[in-house]
Amino acid sequence: MTLLMISLAIIGGALLSVQAAVNGQLGNKVGVFKSAFLTFSVGALITALLIFYFEPVQPVSLMEVPKWQLLGAMCGVPYIVIMVLAVQRIGVAVATVAVIFGQLTMSMIIDSYGWLGNEVLPFSPNRLAAVFCLAVALYFVYKGNQNTTE
Amino acid sequence: MHIVLIVLTIIAGMGLSVEAGILGPLGNVVGELWATLSIFGVGAALTFLLMLFFSPRQSPSFFKQPGWQLTGGVLGPVYVIILTVTAPVIGIALTMIGILAGQIVNSLAIDHFGWLGSTSRRIDKNRVIALLFIVAALVLIGLG
Repeated sequence: MTLLMISLAIIGGALLSVQAAVNGQLGNKVGVFKSAFLTFSVGALITALLIFYFEPVQPVSLMEVPKWQLLGAMCGVPYIVIMVLAVQRIGVAVATVAVIFGQLTMSMIIDSYGWLGNEVLPFSPNRLAAVFCLAVALYFVYKGNQNTTE
Repeated sequence: MHIVLIVLTIIAGMGLSVEAGILGPLGNVVGELWATLSIFGVGAALTFLLMLFFSPRQSPSFFKQPGWQLTGGVLGPVYVIILTVTAPVIGIALTMIGILAGQIVNSLAIDHFGWLGSTSRRIDKNRVIALLFIVAALVLIGLG
């Protein structure tokens, strides 16, 4: 089960990089906000179609959950805006490393304390070693990006 | 100035994890597709406002672009549904690292073969090493 879920996450990442490559070219032509709007509106349309035809009736609707649970997009959209501002000034490499650093620290904190209604997954020596591996990986991503931009 | 931007960018990355953290439990309550709609619906509303007020006035129309360049939005829902399904089972950290591994492998492939109209760049040794360390991290977190 865990392996299946990890493979799914890896596929998700692969899709994300296809999306980034496609949107990058579109963004160059029509502007970042326009391409971001296209991404979200097409996404909303497709999800709505899927819900319309395939979603079983759920006991709880979006209108009934606590409002903070609807803030997900409010945390995701600033990422797009900040990246536009930051990439121009600090470069892709530093921006990428900074984003990943933020992602990982926060995900470890959420897992360790079980924030936002998630299960508690305590911090362990293995997790610490994983953070170290990631730091090394980030260093090489940074180095690789520097070589390509030079 | 740079420090401020770097801190902002780190916060942006944290936002992505919070988004994933909110999605899992929400999906368990209202269903994965509804949780996904909450992201894209609100995202579309927000980015519409951003586009309306801040987009350059003379940017070319979507209808002047080749159709395949507009397909980025098709992949988004798949990604968000995957997040909603995996995060509650394997945790946010493992999900994020898995996604990272997929991103790096695929961006290597896209660059190497020059897919999707990108300029072809040979596989870069540094990114392969990075990938190995990310796989090691996946295994370590998977072990617990």
